[in-house]
Amino acid sequence: MMVMRCKAGQSIRIGDDIRVSIRAVQGGGQVVNFGIDAPAEVPVHRLEIFELIQTENRAASAGNALAWLKGKRDE
Amino acid sequence: MSNAQAVRTIDYQNDTGTEAFLFPHGMAGFPEDTRYGFLYEGRGDIVCMQSLDNIAASFLMTPWDEVRLGPPPALTSEQRFCLQMEYGEMPFWMLVLNPFANPEWIVANLRAPVAVNDAGRRGVQCIQADPNLELRYRWMPQPDKAP
Repeated sequence: MMVMRCKAGQSIRIGDDIRVSIRAVQGGGQVVNFGIDAPAEVPVHRLEIFELIQTENRAASAGNALAWLKGKRDE
Repeated sequence: MSNAQAVRTIDYQNDTGTEAFLFPHGMAGFPEDTRYGFLYEGRGDIVCMQSLDNIAASFLMTPWDEVRLGPPPALTSEQRFCLQMEYGEMPFWMLVLNPFANPEWIVANLRAPVAVNDAGRRGVQCIQADPNLELRYRWMPQPDKAP
C-alpha cells in the first residue's frame, strides 16, 4: 500500500482521471474531509458500507432463488 | 426449474428479441457479472433476477413499495449516467429480498435498492450512505409462516 502525507488543500491524482482532494482536517487530525472527482462510470463508496452490501448480496444469493420462487408459487 | 434451465430460458428470450439488462458495475460482490434477466414465476410480486454470466448470482427482487417506505431515493448524477436516464426520468425501483437469512421473515435490503431503466435495459444497485436504512427490513413472513 502506498502511504502519502497531505495537508488540507492538497490533492492526489490516481490515474488520468481520478482526483482526491483534502478539504480539511478536523478533530485534532482525527477526521479528514476530502472530495473525490472521478468519472461517472467509476463507483465510489465508503469501504465499510460497500463491504456490508457485498456480504448482504452474497447472503441473498446463497440459496437457489429460482427454486425458492417456484416453491412459493406451488404453495 | 433448475438455475441451469432458467439460464436457458433467458437465452431463449434473448433469441426471440428480449435483450439482457446491463448492470455496468454488476451487483456489489459480483462485479464481473453484468448481464441479467428477470424471471417471473407467475404469482405475487417477486421476480428472480438471474445473471447470464454466473449461475450463482441470482437475486429475488420485489418492487419498491411507496406506501410502506415512502418515496424511493433520488438518483445521483453518476447513477443516472450509468442508467442512461435524463433528468426528470424515473427508474423502476426494486429491492433485493433475502429469504434465506431468517426462518420467520423474508427480509429486504433497504440500504442498496436497485434502479432499473426498463426501456434502456440497464440497471444499477444504488448503495445508500444513510446508516438508518435497514439491511434486513422485515418485508413479509416466510410463506409457511403467513397467517
